[in-house]
Amino acid sequence: MINDSLMVVVLAQAVLYGTPLLYAALGELLAERSGVLNLGVEGMMLFGAAVGFWVTQRVGGNSAAVLALAVAGAAAAGAAMAAIHAFLTITLRASQIVSGLALTIFAGGLGLSAYFGNELHLADLPAKHQLSSLDVLGLGDLPVVGPILFDQSALVYASWLLTLLVGLYLSRTRLGLNVRAVGEAPASADAMGIDVVLYRYVHVIVGGAFAGIGGACFSLSISPGWVAGDVLVGGAGWIAIALVIFAFWRAELCLVGAYLFGGLSALPFALQAHDVTVTPEFLQSLPYVMTIVVLVLVSTAVGRRLGAPAALGRPYVREER
Amino acid sequence: MRGITKRFPGVVANDDVSFEAASGEVHALLGENGAGKTTLSNILTGLYRQDEGEIELHGRPVRFTSPRDALDAGVGMVHQHFRLVAPFTVAENVVLGDHRHGHRGFVLRGRAIERRVAELGEKYGLGVDPRSRIWQLSVGEQQRVEILKALYRDATILILDEPTAVLAPQEAVALFGTLRAMAGEGKTVIFISHKLKEVLAVADRVTVLRAGRTIDTVAASTATARSLASLMVGREIDEARPLEQSRPLPDVLSLEVEELTVAGDRGGAAVRGATFSIREGEIVGVAGVAGNGQRELAEALTGLRRADRGTVRVCGKVLRSGDPRAAISAGIAHVPEDRLGTGLAPSLSVTSNAVIKRYRRGLSRGPFLALGRMRETALAIIRRYDVKTPEPSTPARNLSGGNLQKLVLGREFEGEPRVLVVAQPTRGLDVGAIETVHAYLREASSRGVAILLVSEDLDELRALSDRIVVLYEGEIAGEFEAGEATIEEIGLLMAGGRGS
Amino acid sequence: MIRLERRTSQPRWLSVAVPVGSLIVAFAIMAVVLLASGHDPWSTYRKLVEAGFTGNGALSATLISATPILFTGLAAAVAFRMELFNIGAEGQLYLGAVGGAWIALQLGDRDAGSTAVYVVAMCVAAAVTGALWALIPGVLRAFANTNEIITSLMLNYVAGYLLTYLIFSSSSYWRDTSTLQARAFPQGKPMPPAAEWPTFGSSVVLPLGFVVGLGVAVVLWVLYARTRFGFEVSVIADSPRAARYAGMRTRRKILAVMALSGAVAGLGGASQIGDFTHTLDGSPQGLQAAAFGYTGIVVAALARYNPFAVCLVAVLLGGLLNAGFTLQGVDFPSGLVGVMQGIILFCALGGELLIRYRIRFPRRTRVTTDGEATPEAV
Repeated sequence: MINDSLMVVVLAQAVLYGTPLLYAALGELLAERSGVLNLGVEGMMLFGAAVGFWVTQRVGGNSAAVLALAVAGAAAAGAAMAAIHAFLTITLRASQIVSGLALTIFAGGLGLSAYFGNELHLADLPAKHQLSSLDVLGLGDLPVVGPILFDQSALVYASWLLTLLVGLYLSRTRLGLNVRAVGEAPASADAMGIDVVLYRYVHVIVGGAFAGIGGACFSLSISPGWVAGDVLVGGAGWIAIALVIFAFWRAELCLVGAYLFGGLSALPFALQAHDVTVTPEFLQSLPYVMTIVVLVLVSTAVGRRLGAPAALGRPYVREER
Repeated sequence: MRGITKRFPGVVANDDVSFEAASGEVHALLGENGAGKTTLSNILTGLYRQDEGEIELHGRPVRFTSPRDALDAGVGMVHQHFRLVAPFTVAENVVLGDHRHGHRGFVLRGRAIERRVAELGEKYGLGVDPRSRIWQLSVGEQQRVEILKALYRDATILILDEPTAVLAPQEAVALFGTLRAMAGEGKTVIFISHKLKEVLAVADRVTVLRAGRTIDTVAASTATARSLASLMVGREIDEARPLEQSRPLPDVLSLEVEELTVAGDRGGAAVRGATFSIREGEIVGVAGVAGNGQRELAEALTGLRRADRGTVRVCGKVLRSGDPRAAISAGIAHVPEDRLGTGLAPSLSVTSNAVIKRYRRGLSRGPFLALGRMRETALAIIRRYDVKTPEPSTPARNLSGGNLQKLVLGREFEGEPRVLVVAQPTRGLDVGAIETVHAYLREASSRGVAILLVSEDLDELRALSDRIVVLYEGEIAGEFEAGEATIEEIGLLMAGGRGS
Repeated sequence: MIRLERRTSQPRWLSVAVPVGSLIVAFAIMAVVLLASGHDPWSTYRKLVEAGFTGNGALSATLISATPILFTGLAAAVAFRMELFNIGAEGQLYLGAVGGAWIALQLGDRDAGSTAVYVVAMCVAAAVTGALWALIPGVLRAFANTNEIITSLMLNYVAGYLLTYLIFSSSSYWRDTSTLQARAFPQGKPMPPAAEWPTFGSSVVLPLGFVVGLGVAVVLWVLYARTRFGFEVSVIADSPRAARYAGMRTRRKILAVMALSGAVAGLGGASQIGDFTHTLDGSPQGLQAAAFGYTGIVVAALARYNPFAVCLVAVLLGGLLNAGFTLQGVDFPSGLVGVMQGIILFCALGGELLIRYRIRFPRRTRVTTDGEATPEAV
């Protein structure tokens, strides 16, 4: 069967592993388009993963309902973390870079996620529910595209919808136009009656919710369960931030980039399964090295940071002389 | 507006200001820089909140807590620094923030908006392609977009803050036509300016502000330039007179520029084959509408921007292109347009800023800084150029615009330059500071410094320059000796008309 | 309605009062977190102080924890001062350990030298390898304008895998392959005894690495406050455009500062080997799990990038780390230390606002549409 070939397996895994990257990148995209850089993605994902898994342990009932609630819980966890960042950077005008790093440390694998997970003894628990693949259209058996596109979990299908919605929202709606204006020229947006502070809060927090869902992809679907430390997410949050840069701040390109890096992340596991022996550390560091390579290519080939919101990283202060 | 008072830390920008404007009227707010005109208009558009006083619109008291309130009430404003989003199209800028259509307006309907913008443009003589992106437009066209924004929202009151500062004289006349047409429809136009002639040309009535207070409101028909000027300044003044004849200058060339071509930020040449020279002690003015290559020319001469072609010689020696340090050691001083940010490091102390170029020579022992000598140098500049600062250790950003400029000028003069490139030296300064800056420039020229003066203020250029060159689309469109240039001739070249 | 006004001058007492205040607020917030999760904050704090500082031998253990984060804190401070966000101290420290271990093993093979020779050689080798690793993001930033935050962070993961590879997946020079047992359970080669760094004091044991760190702090302070280099760094940090305008060579400064930052982090790696582990620790649960590099960012930010303050904060946070390690268990779940670090950092960041701005509560009156004025309570 062609569907068992290494290529198809790697591509199917690319979609699986790319999905958390996609959620996180879309979230970061929203925050950055409104002018706020949030480097706390890794932390938000880890906390989202922990909360999502905890919900599946605590809530009883129909598996689909439990999982939906778990995803909602993960989103809420990510949003709560993002709210801290929003308050510090928008209201208190703290450095976005330092605040984002602080959020990673606070929420991350040695902080709140670990505290939460250890207090509730999540590490010892086997997964009760997990997001399994749904062959919704009955197309899962199609050669090649079947396993890659139509035999995935609900979160994967939802991520396609989300990409479309975020893309349309930013490019085709009045609200999206306002967001872009807030990120490009907050003073102009303000003069046109757009509430810069409100827009930034909303997009940072919603972005955090997406990151939380991205984290849940790991704890509910990719490797169901919870482990202490940051191995669960393993730098995906940082790769997502890089993704936004080389997607030139566009939703549809985030999807392409996410699957590219999902593939790189999946490669070691797929090769192992097929008894191909390559030094594991080499393969494992591949996504990180490739992130650097692609970033360098983007920054040298394109020169300026094409598509970067002009006011990214800068606090907006109206009344000052 | 009645009894408006607005305080900022350390300043009262508006002190009990009152005025009223009628429908169908062009009402001018006249005052020197720093008189409080801009603060007043920012209050009227909801950007700032007044500390005291009230605003009435059409007889009803209103209180704007945000720009949105003011826009909804029909108050539109064209800011001095445009509030446009550069990567957006004209149409996108026009609809930005518009929320009158409720849920039906959720989806952006590009075509319909573009059509409406085009219609409005035609009606008011504000032709501009709704699909162009802002960064592709000239400054004059950008201003039209600003006015279209207000018209699209059916503004009944339009405020324009120094709208002619960025226009060639002929463009200004066209703008006045548009404003009169709007007033003819019953709209109220509030025209903020410090230029007497413009105010007299366009306004029905004039309210004069001085030092944050209302002085008087007079009908334009009964006022003269002289009467307004004395109201505005509080004493009789002589209008800045251009140099009548050329001064005798030594025949020594300090700066020679040959066939200089420089790329702009957006690709494409911003300066095209500029050739000119400046003699020792000569002041050469560069006139032009903003965005015609002045900034790139100044940056290329001072090494901040690499030239694509051409040579620059300082006192006969060829200057390495694109190297600020080489320009500094060749004796080129630079007073940049952007004082705070390029000319100064805003958070660093006045002392540090005073030695930002000199720390390499004389103010260090080996790798170590000579802190004592740095402080002495700074104190000398502060004293000699009358920089008002609480402490030499105060961060530069806390100084007023005039004192910042004095600090930059003082530092640049202390380096004993042969050539001084100075851009918009008096923009945003109050009257006293402008006079001081002009005096410093004249004094430097009398010591033999060759000065290239880039300015958008034609009166300033005519008051200071021995010669004026006009830049249009990066080319030198014409050159005038002092005294032989009229505003009309210069204006024609600035607007792209080929002169003699 | 609260209004913020930029301070025209910053009183000196504020730069002490605000961090202290932030710390107090942080512990208050932390108390709420502890209460919410069913712990008694008062007894937790008491145990914390005892385990971190006042208990028997606590201070010595705290200094051990403080040593690596003193180096990574200084490394972060050096770079962050120029708005160069090197968050790769983690990986640079690993590489320093690799370089330091290599030279120590080399010297051991040649049976050469006294401890002094070992210490100097290990420091130099570690500084060089750390600096070279840091120069990767440095060169990319200087010549390709690539965001150094992401590149330096990505290299942390690469450095981690490199470390694991050297000990677990290869027969590298650093791996102990002398015995059968060592081949089954991979571990690093032991250093020669002469490569063990000395300690000072008896009741409180001060590792040599900490002393080296203090020396580095002094050098860095002089470099940043008293030299042309430091002056240029401060101008570039505040306004790169002004720096270029003044004829400063920004690119060279980026390379120099990244190399310096990496070298300092690398020294931390040498100190880990020389002071404590005496072998290259490649396990993902060892050096890599300690996350010294990330804690260094917290240290630097709390110290507001001042090298002397870094020394103080390193000891304080070292106490916290040490207490967290000692007390780990039901009363003191792991992760608590990270949460505390995060909260302290958040409070410090919020406190910055009070240093830069004055908060005003302006009186105002609201005019209703009838024109009636009602004073609004503030």
